[in-house]
Amino acid sequence: MSDERDLVLRAEHICVEYAARRPTRAVRDVTLELRRGEVLGIAGESGCGKSTLAYALTRMLKPPARQTDGAITFFPAGGTAVNVLDLAGEALREFRWNKIAMVFQSAMNALNPVTSLDKQFDDIFEAHRPQLDKTARRQRAAELLDMVGIDPARSHGFAHELSGGMRQRVMIAMALALDPEIVIMDEPTTALDVVVQREILDEIERLREELGFSVIFITHDLSLLLEVSDRLLVMYAGEVVEHAPADLVGSAPAHPYTFGLLRSFPDMRGARRELRGVPGNPPDLRHAFQGCPFEPRCEFRFEPCATTPPTLLPAAGRPGSAGRTVSAGRADGDWRVACHLHDAALRPAGPPAVLSGAPAMLSGGAQDEVTVGTDSAGGDA
Amino acid sequence: MSVLEVANLTVAFGQRGGARLTAVDDLSFSLRAGQTLALVGESGSGKSTVVRAAAQLLKPSSGQIRLDGQPAGRRGRALRSYRHEVQVIFQDPFASLNPMHTVAHHLARPLMLRSGRLRGEALDQAVYDLLQSVNLTPPQEVAAKHPHELSGGQRQRVAIARALATDPDVLLADEPVSMLDVSIRLEILNLLDRLKQDRNLAMLYVTHDLATARYFSSQIMVMYRGVVVERGPSDEVILNPAHPYTQILASAAPDPTASRQSLADARRRRQTARAARTGEVRETTLEQGCRFRSRCPHAMPVCADTPPSVETGPGHQALCWLYAGQAGADAQVQSAAGDT
Repeated sequence: MSDERDLVLRAEHICVEYAARRPTRAVRDVTLELRRGEVLGIAGESGCGKSTLAYALTRMLKPPARQTDGAITFFPAGGTAVNVLDLAGEALREFRWNKIAMVFQSAMNALNPVTSLDKQFDDIFEAHRPQLDKTARRQRAAELLDMVGIDPARSHGFAHELSGGMRQRVMIAMALALDPEIVIMDEPTTALDVVVQREILDEIERLREELGFSVIFITHDLSLLLEVSDRLLVMYAGEVVEHAPADLVGSAPAHPYTFGLLRSFPDMRGARRELRGVPGNPPDLRHAFQGCPFEPRCEFRFEPCATTPPTLLPAAGRPGSAGRTVSAGRADGDWRVACHLHDAALRPAGPPAVLSGAPAMLSGGAQDEVTVGTDSAGGDA
Repeated sequence: MSVLEVANLTVAFGQRGGARLTAVDDLSFSLRAGQTLALVGESGSGKSTVVRAAAQLLKPSSGQIRLDGQPAGRRGRALRSYRHEVQVIFQDPFASLNPMHTVAHHLARPLMLRSGRLRGEALDQAVYDLLQSVNLTPPQEVAAKHPHELSGGQRQRVAIARALATDPDVLLADEPVSMLDVSIRLEILNLLDRLKQDRNLAMLYVTHDLATARYFSSQIMVMYRGVVVERGPSDEVILNPAHPYTQILASAAPDPTASRQSLADARRRRQTARAARTGEVRETTLEQGCRFRSRCPHAMPVCADTPPSVETGPGHQALCWLYAGQAGADAQVQSAAGDT
């Protein structure tokens, strides 16, 4: 646990279930800390519980989803810690959007198609800033649109008149409308093409530098997260399997799943290398797991994996905070992984070379057959 | 020998109260047996329209399609036999399978259409063989399932098996993995690649992902607003892009290997460039001249005229005025490619 002074949010042992005859345990004992001004990335496949976790953090779970365990504490700037789970009624309404705002995945569906953007900004301010009069509301809406690079004259228009990227910018402007301390972005660029995605990411980074909010950035695109986040969590089957500094994990993953995800992205510019993805399918979250949930898909499994569930432990052979220059608000040395390969008691020899943190093992390492696309020869023109 | 040839394809859609929108403008390409051609572009560039026109699911405004050197059948029995040879894999395996039917039904129908005599055990066996060929095992179990019992990757495998049922020569894959989880995408692409080799298929791989386009195809065409702006051998186009649009596409893709410092520098450069540009004119399609000129960092007065197709390397063409003749322009672009 790090110093509370630079934390904005701490969530401990979060468990969420979707009620049914056999409940789906979508989030299983997740603990995370968000530091002031940082970007915390959460990566994982669809169905790994990353969006459910975001809804739990913002208290937006709706039945049949139910948080069954855990504590969430919010540390406002210069205020006293708030137990988020105790909030109710007016206090909860005041907390949402004012303190913690969310940018949803599908801007197409999150904006109201039948009212103008002006009206939608008005709704926010009427609910949360009733003291503002109409002129002040319009002025603030114009400021916000201008801030995300949209002509304020557009505010009289409707969502369908905007391109996908512009809609996503409007969503970001709305999330920032009340100066929140935390913005949760759930796949904010997934529906967009690369060029527009790049523009949105630049915009988020610029606004974060200007306004100083903290971001939880959720996406399945690990290569993107490595770029935008300071630290990242990799989730699998509702659990955090690796927690690592984003700038290092790309070349030194500790968990076999992280390794597999990284290997799933062809490197656009580098040499052609082995491309395999992660064989198999994610497990059914209605079942309880005997051992490690990733065991059936893991190429490095050994005896204890099927029977003993791993817990998050420090990853073997990873750099600690010493010897690394870290920017303000960032601390390393808490590289943790839930994998028996890194448990010296179970595996005295340490993890296999590719997971040991030795540099550049993604390019070789695993001694499987190389299955690069067969069209590499260039062919006849 | 090219199997499928598409020449001067143009598809225009009428718009309410406006001019016709030319979604695909005078596009030509050919697919060769055992090779993959990638078609890359942003959303709305007309990629899917090309697939739909090539599959004859929509009628082009003009252009010819030739299959094995013969003009493609346009109606009736001739069209049916064209569709046996040219099959499509759609983007969304959740929408392209009928939720009311079993996997076996999805595969048996095209098998029966292809060879009307197939019935009973022989038909079952053919279904199992197809499932086996896309690694859906055990086939007997999978055949009895409904689509909702399968994961996204398994559904896409069923869709691929269905496309193979008519024993086609040409496969048009329209974003076959963009709806799937990252961890399974490569398996599906590797499967398509293996099938292409085993069955000597000619394949069109439509995608917005430059990296997989580079890996799974020998040639790449880059499409922008209905026009192919660059084409060439895949490594050439990705590693050495000539057209400013391809350069922007390539530089926008996330690069996990880049250092923090270089990312921050690149971001600052892009922000300065954006601030310097006046007004976004994203949605307008310019009918005259280069369609990219409103977003192009190198736009010049001459860009208001239709740009020429210039050979920038062996088999590598770009539709851009920058390469039209002057050696000075070449140098200018080389330096520009360095900073994007």
